[in-house]
Amino acid sequence: MDDIPVVLQGTLDLLILKAASLEPMHGWAISARIRLTSHDVLEVNQGSLYPALHRLVKRGWLSAEWGTSENNRKARFYRLTAAGRRQLATETATWRRFSAAVNHVLAET
Amino acid sequence: MSLFDRFRRPSNQELDDELRQHLEMEALALERDGMSPEDARREARRRFGGVDRYAEELRDVRGGRWLEWIGQDARYALRIARRFPAFTTIVIATLGVAIGANTAVFSVIDRVMLSPLPFPRDRDLVRLYAQTPNGSDPRFGVSYADFLDWRADTRSFAGMTAMTGSTVTLMQGDEPERLSGLLVTSEYFDVLQVRAALGRLFTASDAPSEVTSIAVLTNGFWTRRFGSDSSIVGRTIRLAGGPVSVIGVLPADFSRIAPNLDIITILNPAIIPNVQDHGQHMVGAIGRLRPGVSIEAAQQDLRAVADRLSHTHPSIAGWSANVFSLRYEGSRTIRQPLMILMAGAVLVMLIACTNVASLLLTRNALRQGEVTLRRALGASRGRLIVQMLVECAGLALLGLALGVVVSIAIVTLIARVAPAGLIPISGGIPLDWRMFGFALALVIVATVLAGVWPALRLTAAGLARTMREGGRGASESFRALRTRRVLVVTEVSLAVVLLVCAGLVLQSLRTLTRIDPGFRPERLVSARVSVPNRYRDSSQIRFVQDLLQRLEERAELEDVAAVNVAPMAGGGINTKIRIIGRGDPGNDDLMANATVVTPGYFRTIGMKLVRGEDVSWSVGQLVVNEALAKRFWPNENPIGKRVGFGRDTVGMPIVGIVADIRDRGLGVEPTPMLYMGYQTGASVVRTITLVVRGHGGTETMVAAMRAALREIDRAVPLYNTQAVPDMVNASIAQPRLTTTMLTLFAGIAMVLAVLGIYGVVSYSVTQRSQEMGVRMALGAQRADVVRLVLREALVLASGGAVIGLLGASAATTLIRGWLYGIERNDPTTMVGAAAALIVVALLASYLPATRAARVDPVTAMRAE
Repeated sequence: MDDIPVVLQGTLDLLILKAASLEPMHGWAISARIRLTSHDVLEVNQGSLYPALHRLVKRGWLSAEWGTSENNRKARFYRLTAAGRRQLATETATWRRFSAAVNHVLAET
Repeated sequence: MSLFDRFRRPSNQELDDELRQHLEMEALALERDGMSPEDARREARRRFGGVDRYAEELRDVRGGRWLEWIGQDARYALRIARRFPAFTTIVIATLGVAIGANTAVFSVIDRVMLSPLPFPRDRDLVRLYAQTPNGSDPRFGVSYADFLDWRADTRSFAGMTAMTGSTVTLMQGDEPERLSGLLVTSEYFDVLQVRAALGRLFTASDAPSEVTSIAVLTNGFWTRRFGSDSSIVGRTIRLAGGPVSVIGVLPADFSRIAPNLDIITILNPAIIPNVQDHGQHMVGAIGRLRPGVSIEAAQQDLRAVADRLSHTHPSIAGWSANVFSLRYEGSRTIRQPLMILMAGAVLVMLIACTNVASLLLTRNALRQGEVTLRRALGASRGRLIVQMLVECAGLALLGLALGVVVSIAIVTLIARVAPAGLIPISGGIPLDWRMFGFALALVIVATVLAGVWPALRLTAAGLARTMREGGRGASESFRALRTRRVLVVTEVSLAVVLLVCAGLVLQSLRTLTRIDPGFRPERLVSARVSVPNRYRDSSQIRFVQDLLQRLEERAELEDVAAVNVAPMAGGGINTKIRIIGRGDPGNDDLMANATVVTPGYFRTIGMKLVRGEDVSWSVGQLVVNEALAKRFWPNENPIGKRVGFGRDTVGMPIVGIVADIRDRGLGVEPTPMLYMGYQTGASVVRTITLVVRGHGGTETMVAAMRAALREIDRAVPLYNTQAVPDMVNASIAQPRLTTTMLTLFAGIAMVLAVLGIYGVVSYSVTQRSQEMGVRMALGAQRADVVRLVLREALVLASGGAVIGLLGASAATTLIRGWLYGIERNDPTTMVGAAAALIVVALLASYLPATRAARVDPVTAMRAE
């Protein structure tokens, strides 16, 4: 799986917030959703995922609660908070500006 | 819910659940894609990269993890401790001995110097003294007349009381019993603010007219003599001077300021001879400062009054006064020795910590691989440092357990070597929380001193480099070796300082014990007798003569005599003397120590009569010692010359000269002494000391003395019975104590330092075994290899020794006061200490050296 790019530093938060914005989701579902929506291009390093989730909870962008997963097990579900939604909007705007700028640079030949 | 959740930290269990759940979901998804359950599970785990690793990182993200770390680390430390049993044992033993030594000395200091007296606001209590005109004695007794004026005219004191020791004979039971009594002014207990354990104590309203009728008993006497019977209050007990009514019993902790006291009665000033005379320095005084008044201010206040008095009363012209804290008066003489012993113990602690740090560095080199792995797996540096420190603290705590045992042993030793009274340890020193707290503080000190640096070193190495070195950290271990050499040189130098100090005091003690006291103490026993007041004038002398004669008739006793103060009892009366026939200028400031003796005293204790004859019973005669003869008649024969006391212009003739003796302690130079016949001094010497030489042991001889005394008067007690050789030994008890302790500490220091050298040398032998193999393959002989290894030990030991000698030449100024018959920079001692350490270090290194020489070249090189 060497051809799968490592998620850029700093963009992981954005991806998680985006994934969790639709509905409360547990960790595995978030990573699966990122893989799915990126068409298998982005693979979240699992070791980064959980530290990031806990960090986001600590910052107040995500809230976490225990629920029952689809396989009937106890699982921790992460839900985007109001602050998280604002943060998602800011980071999305920042990312758009950044990627547009990079594209402009690349287009220039 | 979400708010609550944000502040709640998930437990470890929840974390594990969450991660496990993730694995299951992943495996389930893989299974759906067509994998077999096992494969799916394995693949999920592989993708995750190991649950344990992330569990560690995750816990780091959350706050408040320190406690949790320590719990884990303690368990881990236990495993590590078992993995290095030799290391663990040595570290625990080293720290245990050091912690024990420090705690022992501290507990004595705490007991003797720091702990408050058992009185409310004890810091306000002061001892008041007169000071002699030239300031030579700042702690002279106070006259009752002075005391009254001090109390009336000063403003700094809330209260002031005077007291004096008294001789009391209890007339109850078969044998009259001699008691230790104290006469106090009635405000004594108000000043100290003591409360009775039973009954009541004196108050200011107990008028001195009641003087002999009421008494307060100490707790010790009450327990010993009356079996703690509480009906004692109100009972009457019979003393030689008449019946007294017991009004109360003191609390047990009162013994802190008066250990051997039995009974307290009210001081009747009428019994003090010439009580109006300001020059009669007969009492002691204690004051309580007004709240907020400092000792310095009180001293100024008191001195102003004392100065005025010294101008109006010729008998105290030039005298002054001093105020000292009561709390520190008891420990005055032992304070400096204890501080130096503490310094010695601290040196031992430093050496121990250096040793442990050095051992940790070595062991850490072996653990470099483990640390590299853990860092690679995501453990932060801080996390690892905490773990190292927890390990170190764990070892130190085990050391503390051993240290408690060691400190009990050392305190027991101190209590045995220290003479009674030198250190007020009545009933031993309890292991209390203060002591434990101190020991715990030492554990922290040890952890910081010995643990922090090795931990920083171990975790500092860059990941990439150590991994390139195959996780073995080869260069790190070489660097550790260099550091260890520095540490070993440090501890050797500290040990040399202690060795030099111990060597000097040991030689001083040896010189002291070999001093000829000038008399023969063996088989001498002394005992006190107070001649009752009903024997007056000539009947008093007859009483003493009778007693001596009956003693002489006893088969157990060979020689008998009486004296006012027993040899070694710290004696004599320092008196102003006048040489008859010499003008006033020649008689200025002539002082001599006057002793009152019965004929036969010199023969009895084994003094040498150099010239002339003994004193006689009939007329006033004097015998002088050689020191006095040399001082006052350097070129003349003093026999026949007359000497008077004070303003006496007739005087008494000198009839003999005796050789000097050291009767005030072996280390005290003889001073001019006058011996006068008993009948001359009888009026002031109603209490005599019998000195007898006999056989059958002290107890047999004392029994014989008791029997002889009973034949004359059944109501007179014999007390203070002592074997004179014990008193000679007691006179050097303090040097003996300090020497024993310093030698013990120096011994410990030397063992630790040698252990350090051994450790470094044997470690470097292991490190260099390949090099040794190469050398031997190239033709080096075994002897060459041994020499190579020993050279390293020699360099380390002599390097440390040189630095240590420099330190010692500074440190010995501290113990200058303890040295006797030896210079503080005695070259033999200095070189001897250094040489001893070097030789022992070489011997200790011989083992690793022969191990190096036994290296098989082929095996050693193959290991490369």
